[in-house]
Amino acid sequence: MANIPILELFSIVIVFASIFGLIVSNNAIKAIVFMTTLNAGIITFWIALGSRAGTLPPIFETPEHIYLMDYMADPVPQALMITAIVIGFAVTAINIIMMNTLFRKYGTSDWKELFKLTKEQYVIKDGVCPDDADACTIAKGEDTNA
Amino acid sequence: MVYALAGLSLIALLVIMIERKVYRIIIYTGIFSLMMAGIYLMLGSPDVAMAEAAIATYATIFFIVVAERYYKKYRKRGEDDATSATAYEKPKKGPSIAKVLLALLFTAGLGFLFVNFIPDINVNLDLRTLYLENFKVDVGGQNPIAAILMGYRLYDTLFEALLLVIAIMAVSHLSFYDGVYVKEEKGDQSHVKRDKIAFYSIRIISPIIILFGIYLVANGHLSAGGGFQGGLAIAAFFVCRYMIHNIYDLPVKKVLKLEEIVFMALAIVAVIMVFVDTASRVSEEYRFIFQSVHLYAANFLVGIKVACGFFILFYRFVAVERLKE
Repeated sequence: MANIPILELFSIVIVFASIFGLIVSNNAIKAIVFMTTLNAGIITFWIALGSRAGTLPPIFETPEHIYLMDYMADPVPQALMITAIVIGFAVTAINIIMMNTLFRKYGTSDWKELFKLTKEQYVIKDGVCPDDADACTIAKGEDTNA
Repeated sequence: MVYALAGLSLIALLVIMIERKVYRIIIYTGIFSLMMAGIYLMLGSPDVAMAEAAIATYATIFFIVVAERYYKKYRKRGEDDATSATAYEKPKKGPSIAKVLLALLFTAGLGFLFVNFIPDINVNLDLRTLYLENFKVDVGGQNPIAAILMGYRLYDTLFEALLLVIAIMAVSHLSFYDGVYVKEEKGDQSHVKRDKIAFYSIRIISPIIILFGIYLVANGHLSAGGGFQGGLAIAAFFVCRYMIHNIYDLPVKKVLKLEEIVFMALAIVAVIMVFVDTASRVSEEYRFIFQSVHLYAANFLVGIKVACGFFILFYRFVAVERLKE
């Protein structure tokens, strides 16, 4: 087994615990929460990697700070992770608004219920198409692109 | 201290897994993100800590709360209307034991493989040394992270801003359900009942928040902070404004247009600055002026863009909640 520092191991634990939560959780809100924790775990991994060089913040407010350069953290992963945080938030916002749209249509935020309801929609009863024509063609298998 | 914070965040994650009530899950998510921000601060990255504290602890939590409030409203209606096919039924039991065990086996195995076969990473520090030694001459300022974001990797920042614009467009289009459009309402709606303590504390805090946001944007290249964090703080001011007065009067479409214009300006600044190349083509006397103008312009544009973006996201989410059926 490779020799991994504790904080990096901790971030790996968070990532895989979040994946576990994503698989197990039934509630959509809970799944979205686990997406954010997954993002946080990955960011922690990079920050921990960047702090191997040192744990001082890389900011040169006075000229004397130049002598502390060897003890400063790596600025490259930090700059990358700021963008990752903002993108992670964009993903969360789209997740929530998509879930809102689904909720508005089907009235539930439970995955199992949602699967059941979406399956019901695609069943053709007595040879008559339901109100949604697109769903009808998908159910018949005519639309190969769907 | 770092290990204590890490342990607390692990406990918070465990609670999120076990807990069934959604509001408690949201609160523990906030605690988890705050612990994470503390860890980042301890590891010498105040900029990332600020961004994480602002986004994960305030913005994400706020949006999830708005979504959950919306769900709750509809669930109650579903329970009343028992004949409705989409009536919400409360799940009586959690996931089955077999499913949990399989998932646990899968993720634990994956994690074990990840840890076991990870190569011994010798972190290459060449780039770090290069940036730390040269950023003052190449880009200017005192904060190498701002220098990387606004100088060395300006195109990265540009495309990330583009991604945020796309996300905002997706959100604002998806929230126009079936052509339903929430109009801006003029005037104060102070007859709505509110909690007095929350009302007055928000009222005291909100001017400090906008001042802090402008400070972060303007001071971003000299100390910890920058366009993203400052823009978030400025957007937080508008959230506070909504909470105090409960009005929905600001034009979302115009703000979206402003954001697009700011994004174009940011792209133009990026292209100009990459081709001007102050380090090699501008003489040493004028270099400081060029670099200062560039850093201030880039930080302010990013700040305005992020503030506009979060403002639109917030207003679209609130519009979902305000929809009258």
